[in-house]
Amino acid sequence: MYYIAMVDAEKCSQHKCNICTLYCPEANTLMFDKAKNTSWVDVDRCKGCALCVYVCSDLLNRGCISMVMAQAKEA
Amino acid sequence: MSLKYMTPTEQFKKYLPKDYVELVDYGPFGKSQDEAGVNNIGQFKEVLEEHPMCSGCLMAYFIRVFFAALPNPEDTVTLGTAGCGRLAISQAAVPFIYGNYGDQNAMASGLSRAFRLRFPDKKKDVVTLAGDGGTMDIGFSMTMHSWIRGEKFTTIMLDNEVYGNTGGQESGMSPQGAILKMAPEGKKFEKMPATELAKTAGCVYVVRISPTNIKKTAKSIKRAILVAREVGPTFIHVYTSCNIEYSIPTEEVFKDAKDQEKDRFSFEEYMTDEAREVIERIEGEEKKAKKAKKGARKEEVVS
Ligand SMILES: Cc1ncc(C[n+]2csc(CCOP(=O)(O)OP(=O)(O)O)c2C)c(N)n1
Ligand code: SF4
Ligand code: SF4
Ligand code: SF4
Repeated sequence: MYYIAMVDAEKCSQHKCNICTLYCPEANTLMFDKAKNTSWVDVDRCKGCALCVYVCSDLLNRGCISMVMAQAKEA
Repeated sequence: MSLKYMTPTEQFKKYLPKDYVELVDYGPFGKSQDEAGVNNIGQFKEVLEEHPMCSGCLMAYFIRVFFAALPNPEDTVTLGTAGCGRLAISQAAVPFIYGNYGDQNAMASGLSRAFRLRFPDKKKDVVTLAGDGGTMDIGFSMTMHSWIRGEKFTTIMLDNEVYGNTGGQESGMSPQGAILKMAPEGKKFEKMPATELAKTAGCVYVVRISPTNIKKTAKSIKRAILVAREVGPTFIHVYTSCNIEYSIPTEEVFKDAKDQEKDRFSFEEYMTDEAREVIERIEGEEKKAKKAKKGARKEEVVS
């Protein structure tokens, strides 16, 4: 079991933002959906560093990303 | 600049490697920096793929930015050496050459010369990316001699101030007093003055940076590459913390990078007059082209 980042899309889409995606250390992981105006996490690639949480919560004071336990997918 | 060598036709697409087609359809291949560059990173498929570098590693982050900032990814070759960075640099859709420990700048000298002879009509970019151990300790003589000879390529030192890949030996770039697994009493000597050495040895464009501002970081990378094409050796000394060996909680990696920006990695940009001329010329042309494009769009709307 390990942590992954999860974006609260409803909260995130209230901001015109796309900042956290500029700071994820991993490529093709924390993406931004322009149509829905929200960032989203490709959970298979997320390494759970929580850098994005620091950006969204500590730097921007928006609190839209939280770390959650990865759930095994049903086969 | 764009990959125009090979544009897959619809009928042929299914025979091409899927990764390649995805980079044409959703990635930067065939697109400008404005369409798929650092400004909209997170909205296109990047050339860098998954890799085994540690969670929250600032070096992995810089490598991600580096690939997104390349002015000419389809005509770029990277060279590296043992150390953490190559674990990611080798996982990009950009050719990567891996030699013996520390010889990246010697290989790059030969390669960039060969490119100029073989492809005089093309712009081929050569960039070395190695750790502080690879660049300033074990590869020191090859780094210095390539600069003294005035070889036209870019050297990037990924400075995590330690040998990360081998578990925490001090390097010439570790700061004095740093307590590391294999420097338990603290390092006794000063951090090497890398940017000063680069200037003395003949680098024509030198930057020291902590990558806290993606646009500024990308601008430095681009300038270093464009100047190396025409003038001479260029050098980027970048802070890429090792959260493992320096025990930085991953969520604080960015804060630490900001702190370092006020300390050992204060921003420095040096260029010779010749380098400045090249930068002003190229950036001036880009500005003009952008203005013309905007003007054309306005006219379209009006008519
Ligand atoms: C000739 C030789 N000596 C030693 C090694 C072992 N070795 C592998 S990586 C490394 C040091 C890595 O430190 P650095 O270059 O700072 O890169 P980092 O891993 O910190 O990014 C060493 C000594 C080697 N591969 N080849
Ligand atoms: S930083 Fe926060 S608000 Fe901004 S895009 Fe990311 S999750 Fe959304
Ligand atoms: S936790 Fe780390 S790897 Fe995962 S999305 Fe956030 S910044 Fe990226
Ligand atoms: S050991 Fe340090 S430098 Fe190497 S990948 Fe891990 S955090 Fe990054």
